[in-house]
Amino acid sequence: METLIDKQQDTTTVRFNGRMDTPAAQELAKNLDTLQEAASGTVILDCKGLEYISSSGLRIFLALRKAAAAKGGKVIVKDINDAIRNVFMMTGFLNLFEIR
Amino acid sequence: MKIKLIDKGFVKKSVGAGILLIIVAAVTLEATSLIQFYFSQRALKAEAGMRAESELEGTNNEILDIIDQVETAVRNSVWIANWSLDHPDSMKSVAARIVKDNPVIIGSTIATVPGYLDKRPLFSPYVYQEGDKLLYTSLATEEYDYPSQEWFFKPLQLGTGYWSEPYVDTGGAGILMTTYSMPIYDKFGRKAAVITADLSLDWLTEVVGDVKVYPSAFSVLLSRQGEIMVCPADSLVMNRTVFEVASGYGDSTIYQLGRAMLSGESGNRVLSFEGKVNQVYYAQIEKTGWSMSIVIPEEEIYKGLKKPLAIVGGLQLLGLLMLMIILYALSRNTAKYKSLTERKERIENELRIGHNIQMAMVPKVFPPFPERKDLDISAVIVPAREVGGDLYDFFIRDNKLFFGIGDVSGKGIPASLVMAVTRSLFRSISTHADSPGLILSTMNKSMAAENDSNMFVTFFCGVLDLLTGHLRYCNAGHNAPFFFSNTVSHLPVIPNLPLGIEPSMEFREQEMDLHFDDALFLFTDGVSEAENSRQELFGEDRLRQILSTRRDAQGHLDAVREAIADFVGNAPQSDDITMLFMHFLNFHLKLRNEVSQISELEPFMRALGKVKNLDSEMVTTMNIALEEAVINAIMYAYPKGTQGFVDVVALMHDHSIEFIVSDSGTPFDPTAVPEIDTTKGVEDRPIGGLGIHMVRTIMDSVSYSRTDGKNILTMTKTF
Repeated sequence: METLIDKQQDTTTVRFNGRMDTPAAQELAKNLDTLQEAASGTVILDCKGLEYISSSGLRIFLALRKAAAAKGGKVIVKDINDAIRNVFMMTGFLNLFEIR
Repeated sequence: MKIKLIDKGFVKKSVGAGILLIIVAAVTLEATSLIQFYFSQRALKAEAGMRAESELEGTNNEILDIIDQVETAVRNSVWIANWSLDHPDSMKSVAARIVKDNPVIIGSTIATVPGYLDKRPLFSPYVYQEGDKLLYTSLATEEYDYPSQEWFFKPLQLGTGYWSEPYVDTGGAGILMTTYSMPIYDKFGRKAAVITADLSLDWLTEVVGDVKVYPSAFSVLLSRQGEIMVCPADSLVMNRTVFEVASGYGDSTIYQLGRAMLSGESGNRVLSFEGKVNQVYYAQIEKTGWSMSIVIPEEEIYKGLKKPLAIVGGLQLLGLLMLMIILYALSRNTAKYKSLTERKERIENELRIGHNIQMAMVPKVFPPFPERKDLDISAVIVPAREVGGDLYDFFIRDNKLFFGIGDVSGKGIPASLVMAVTRSLFRSISTHADSPGLILSTMNKSMAAENDSNMFVTFFCGVLDLLTGHLRYCNAGHNAPFFFSNTVSHLPVIPNLPLGIEPSMEFREQEMDLHFDDALFLFTDGVSEAENSRQELFGEDRLRQILSTRRDAQGHLDAVREAIADFVGNAPQSDDITMLFMHFLNFHLKLRNEVSQISELEPFMRALGKVKNLDSEMVTTMNIALEEAVINAIMYAYPKGTQGFVDVVALMHDHSIEFIVSDSGTPFDPTAVPEIDTTKGVEDRPIGGLGIHMVRTIMDSVSYSRTDGKNILTMTKTF
C-alpha cells in the first residue's frame, strides 16, 4: 500500500493506494506518531485508492480518531468503497468518523 | 434344497428308464434269438428231411436195381421155361442157367403145378449156389410141400410176378432171402408151372443199413407184413414184426408208424422211444411192397444248432451285460453330468455372490461424498472373472482421505480371498493410523506372517489431509500413479516390496502437498497392460493421452474404460482392471507464522471468487474475515522465535464456502473472546477485539475445535 501525506497548515491529507492488510497497517503504524500530531487539526483520510482494510488498519484509524478527540482535532474519511463502508458499518465506525 | 430334490428325482427317473431299456433290449434280443432258433430249427429239420428223403430214394433205387435184375432174369427165362414144359428134364439146366448168369440170384427152380406133368405129379428141380459151387436138390418133397408155399401159389393166384415175403431159407442155404416167382402158362393157356429166383438179402442190410445221414441215425426195412427185415438190433431181424415191437414198447406211435408204412405211404413222423425224440422219414420200396424208414434222433438234427445257439446265447448275455454296464455308466454319467451342472451352477451362483460381496467391500456409490466440494473421487473394478484380486478403497476420517489401490498376485477365487483380507486389514489398521508407511508396515507384518500360499499384493496407499492438501503416501511394489498438476507425470514413488513377502520390511513413506485442481490417477496393471487380439498392450501413453482431456473423476474412468474396450476389441479381458481418480478441489494455503504471509490471501481469495463467480465486494469482505483469523494464528499461535505453519482451507459448497484455519500452536479459542460493544463512543472504544468481531459479523457461523494438537477455526459464509 502506498501512503501519501500532504500537510497544508492545519489540514493533513493522507492518501492510501492499495490494500491496508496487516503488514501494510504495521508499516503505516510506524508513522502513527506523525499522524497523531496532525490530529490536532483536521486529518483527511482519502480512501479513494484504498481497496481493502483489515482490523489493524481500522485500529490505526481508531487511534487517529482517539488522538483527534483528545486534541480537539477532526478526522474525515473520504471516498470509501462499498466493502470498506460495510466494514465501517459492522464495526460502528460509521458513527465514529465523519464520512464524506 | 428344492433344486437338489428335483435333480435327484431326475436321476432316479433316468435310472428307471435305463432298467426299462434293459428289459426291452433283453426281450427284443430274446425274441430275436427265438425267431432265429425257430427258423434255424426249421431249416435244419427241412435239411434232415431232404437228406432222409434223398437217402430213401437212393436206397429205393439201389434195391430196385437189384429187383429189376432179378425180375428181368426171370422174365427172360419165361420162354425157355415154356419150352421146358415139354422137356421137363431140361428144367434143371434152365434154373442152373438163371443162377449162373445172375450173381445176385442164389437159387432158382421151375416148379410144376401138381398133376400137370403126367408122370411127375410134383416136380421142382432146385439149383442153388453155395460158395463157388452150384448144387442141385429137388423141392418136391413131402415135408416141404412146395404147392403150399407162398412163392408158388401166389403168382398163380395173381397171374403175375410176385415177390415173396422175406424168409430164412431153412431148406437150402439157410440165409435170409426173398423169392421172385412168375407163373408159366402152356400153349393152351393153362397154369403149368412157376419159375423162381431166390434173392439173398444179405446185401440188403448192407444197402439199407448203410444209410448214415447222421452218425446215430439208423434205418429200418419192413416187409409187407411188417416183418423187420433190416434194423440195427439183429435180434429183431426176421424175428419180430413192427407191431410186435410196438406192443413190446407199449407205444402206439410205433404201431401207427408201422400201419402208415405198410399202407404204402411215404412221409414223416415223430417217434419217441428210449427217451429220445426222433424224426422218422419213411417211403415204400417200389415193387417189393417193402417200406423203409430212416430214424434220426432230433438231438442229432439240431446238434449243429447247439454250438451257434450257445455262441449266440453267450453273445446275447455279453451284449446285455455290456448294455447294463453302459446304462449304468450312462446313468452315473447323467448323474455325474447332473451333479457337474449342479456344481457348475452352484459355483457360478457362489461366484456371483462372491462378486457381489467383493463389490460390496469397496465403495461403489458415486459420488461418494456428495456434500464435499473439495474432493471429486471415483473408482471402478472390472474383474476379468466373476471375482478378482484387485481392490481399491477410500474413506474419510478426521478430514483425511485414506485411499488405496492394490493388485493381488494371481486371479480368481484365491486372489479374491487375499483381496478381502487385504481390504479388511487396510480398513482396520487405517482406523487408528494416519501414516501410510505405518499402515502398510502393519498390513505387511500380518500378511507375510501367515502367508502360506506365497501370494503377495502390490499396494499403494495415500492419506490426504483434505484441509491442507498434504499428501502422505507409501508404495508397496505397485505401479506409480499419475500425478496431475499443470502437467501429467508419474508420482515419484519408492518401489518398496509388495505386501506379504518380508514381515520385517519397513515401508518408506513419502509426502507432498496437493493444491487446488491437482489430481491423482491410481490404476492396476490391468489398465496399462490390457491386451488386444494382436497381443499389443494398451500402454501408459494411450492412458496419459486420454486423461489429458479435462473431465470429472467419473468421466475420466468412463473414458479410459471405453478406450480400453475399443482397443481390446474381441480379445478376452486378460486381467482385472481397477482405477481410482482423485481430484483435489480444495483451496488450501500453507502459511508460515510470518505476518508477510498474509499477502498470500489476496490471490487465494481472488481465485476462489473466480471459481465461485463472486463479486469483488464479497471476495473482499470474506478476505477481511479470513485475514483476521489467519493473522491471529500467525501472530499468537507459536511462541516468539519459533517457526510454525498456519493452514488455510476453503471448502466449496453449493451455496457456501467453508474456511478452515488451523495451526499446531498453543491452544487458543478466539470464539471465547468477549464481544465488543460497537455502539460505544470514541473514548470508550478499546483498540483490540475488532478482528474477531469482524469475523463473527462477516461469517455466518464460526466454531473452534482443538483436534490432534491443532487449533481449528471453522468459518462458513453462506450466500
